[in-house]
Amino acid sequence: MSRIFRYLIVPALSLCGALLAASVTATAHHSFAPFDLTMEKTISGTVSRFEWTNPHSWIWVDVPNGKGGVDSWAVEGMSPNYLARRGWSKTTLKPGEKVTIVVRPLKSGENGGMFVRATLADGRVLTQTGQPTD
Amino acid sequence: MNRLLVCLVLGASAVGIAQKSSRNAPTPADWANLAKLPDFTGVWELSFGAPPARGSTPPAGRGRGGAPAAPTLTPEYAAKKKAFDANPPEDSEAANCLPPGMPGIMGQPYPMEFLLTPGQVTIVIEAYTQVRHIYTEGRSLPEDPDQTFQGTSVGRWEGDALVVDTVGFSPLTQIDRGVPHSDRMRIHERFRLTDADTMSIETTVVDPVVLAVPFTSTRTLKRHRNWTIAEYVCQENNRNSVDAAGKAGVNLARPGSQIKKD
Repeated sequence: MSRIFRYLIVPALSLCGALLAASVTATAHHSFAPFDLTMEKTISGTVSRFEWTNPHSWIWVDVPNGKGGVDSWAVEGMSPNYLARRGWSKTTLKPGEKVTIVVRPLKSGENGGMFVRATLADGRVLTQTGQPTD
Repeated sequence: MNRLLVCLVLGASAVGIAQKSSRNAPTPADWANLAKLPDFTGVWELSFGAPPARGSTPPAGRGRGGAPAAPTLTPEYAAKKKAFDANPPEDSEAANCLPPGMPGIMGQPYPMEFLLTPGQVTIVIEAYTQVRHIYTEGRSLPEDPDQTFQGTSVGRWEGDALVVDTVGFSPLTQIDRGVPHSDRMRIHERFRLTDADTMSIETTVVDPVVLAVPFTSTRTLKRHRNWTIAEYVCQENNRNSVDAAGKAGVNLARPGSQIKKD
């Protein structure tokens, strides 16, 4: 029984804790209410600006709109404080860089969403979750 | 007679001022004595999802590896909480950058720095750039405190534990989501190291108007010896909001601060 506890229950509890932590984390400053959590939308374009600011980082992406122009999309991410402890820096995304980002879109229908993950031109995948590093 | 009155008033004022500024300058011995206290100094962060220490009882409290804990409310406030939950606002005032105050400020996903100086423990909280001052030189709690976000705290060392009592909270702080506090709320905290880099904080909220029984939860913090506290100015580039009706919003039109500077 104690073996089951140690090898099965404890990891399961840890996972629950991590999942709860993820929700605690995201609700620290604001709720998910403006975002459609049931949907994922993928946008591809060129980074125009990376706001490395509190309380949230914002990635601005020019996305070709099929009419010869671009639409400006805004992607909300975690704070620089949180991200810096998970390997990000103010130069992780640079203006002019090609990027594909998966977002939870704004319910308002505006060109914006909450960051889920990004893929860079070299194939690297960026996430914003996980345990911090020392 | 008038002169006597003036003298009495002046004398009383002088005593009042003297009492306010009577904290002595620390001596070399005071500084040396800090080394005998538990080693709290440094940067700590809530340990989300860490498994409970072997042989320990999982602590209560949401997301801290223990059973979810919720405060037990008096009938009046249970009814209010039920009404709140039936029609909750989409967000809290934190979306407008109002700091949560106590006790919520101690549960943020950002680190805190503990500093020990003679007669005082200072907690520098990264989230919303907040500070708690805990006076440990032996003063009493104020009888009629101002209502502030962090409250007014005094502490004492009991063996290896720092025991802190806090009173006087802004009505803008809350015990839990949808659970306000009365002006009789008191918060009792017990900080101690469970190993070299692990701190346990047991928090008990007492509020005879709102809580049917005291609400106790335990949080575990991990020390991060290589971390420093970063700046967090919530108003820097806050595009989130909640309005008076509880509707949450995101404002994409607001120019970010990084554009304003040129």
